[in-house]
Amino acid sequence: MKAWDFVFLAYGIVWSALVFYLTVLRRRCRKIEAELVRLQSPGDKKKNEQK
Amino acid sequence: MASTTKKSGRGRSILGGLAFFFILMGLYFALIQAPPDAYQGEVQRIMYLHIPSILTAYLSFFIVFIGSALFLWKRERRDDILAYAAAEIGVLFTGLTIVEGSIWGKPAWGVWWTWDARLTLTAILLLIFVGYLMLRSLIEDEDQSAVCGAVLGIIGFLDIPLIHMSVYWWRTLHQPPSILRPDKLPWENVHPAMLIALSINFIAFLLVYFYLLSSRIRLGELQEEVKKTRLYGAA
Amino acid sequence: MELLRQTTWLLWKDLLLEMRRRESLLAMFFFGVLLLFIFNFAFEIPRERAAEMAPGLLWLAFIFTGTLGLAQLYQAEKENHCLEALLLSPIDRGALFLAKVFFNLLLMLSVEVVVFPLFWMLFNLEAWKLLPSLFLVAFLGTLGFCAIGALFSAVTLKARARELLLPLVIFPLMIPVILATIRAMEILLRTGAFEEASPWLRLLIGFDVIFITAGFLIFEWVIEA
Repeated sequence: MKAWDFVFLAYGIVWSALVFYLTVLRRRCRKIEAELVRLQSPGDKKKNEQK
Repeated sequence: MASTTKKSGRGRSILGGLAFFFILMGLYFALIQAPPDAYQGEVQRIMYLHIPSILTAYLSFFIVFIGSALFLWKRERRDDILAYAAAEIGVLFTGLTIVEGSIWGKPAWGVWWTWDARLTLTAILLLIFVGYLMLRSLIEDEDQSAVCGAVLGIIGFLDIPLIHMSVYWWRTLHQPPSILRPDKLPWENVHPAMLIALSINFIAFLLVYFYLLSSRIRLGELQEEVKKTRLYGAA
Repeated sequence: MELLRQTTWLLWKDLLLEMRRRESLLAMFFFGVLLLFIFNFAFEIPRERAAEMAPGLLWLAFIFTGTLGLAQLYQAEKENHCLEALLLSPIDRGALFLAKVFFNLLLMLSVEVVVFPLFWMLFNLEAWKLLPSLFLVAFLGTLGFCAIGALFSAVTLKARARELLLPLVIFPLMIPVILATIRAMEILLRTGAFEEASPWLRLLIGFDVIFITAGFLIFEWVIEA
């Protein structure tokens, strides 16, 4: 492997990992936001059901 | 509540945009503008990733400490969310630091891994962070989990200087940090163009870190919101 | 002082339980000896290098043995709501912490006092007069181990997979103790004097002081969670 190969490998891994983490984070946020909306709208009926 | 989330959402987007801008600038300076090192050649460019990474990882650890201490003192949920978020992202950055160090090490030293001071210290840091995450996830009760995590966050941080000293005394193979040499001023050791590239990349990493941190905190706050809604009904 | 009295009283309770049932001590002792035995199969230890490798092997054996003791440390309190009872009484939480630290310390020291000479004989080492100094170093290291261990044994009480989690959490934190103890013992064996080892010893003492104090202060939040 030549010098630049190592450089690109390092930069590639780092930035893909960061982007990947951000994507996962966003997805988790969206799921929870959807859950929150679901809990809050037909909210009262659900609350009574859960109690 | 809704208005503050919108405002913080906009703040986050601005932060993200700024981070993205600095990333591009950093990449340009690191890969194109900065000259190759006299001894190491192009491979030295990995340092523009490695040094900001490790510094950010240490910053994250410090934030875990602050969050943990505040939580034990005031018992406010948001301090716990801060600590957990910083730990999660800290694991990410510490892991990346090790990978970068390893990739740099192969052409520079000829080996993928060596038990020198800096790499060993980073590995230990990673172990403590991972231990924190495992501890938190294995304790079911949330309040207990928060307290126990906070204890580890504080003790772990207090241990860092001691770990540092013991590992450094044990191993002194790593190159003396060329920027932080005590006898010379920081800018006398390094070529100015390299210093600029390093600074820009450092700012970029900081911005990315805080962007990720604020997003992760938002996730934590949402989770808290869901929990409260389940328990007490809609606000 | 009140704190000392409470600590001694709690320590005495644990010692009494231990002397009557002898669960922990015997198990730890045999485990320590077993480890040394297994090390002999795992590592080729040539006669000339035995003194070099001795501190590392010994200390590893003690660490694993000590972890066994830590897993059992709060066993008495878990049964019959003893912990709740203790917490209801006006006992200083720090006293409970110190008592646990010293209890595990005594257990480990008892094992070490026997295993040290045993190791020396098994591996045909000389330098018998260095044994007291080596034991002093081991004492400092064991104290640090027990401080961190007693704290985190309580922290992991409520966690799942506790037996796996406890070593996972404390071993990285123990690295200064492991390094300092082994290096100091090595230097002692090599030079026969304390001078060269003094930075390591100061590190050990610093570690002990810092984490006994920190544990003492933090323990009440842990145990009441």
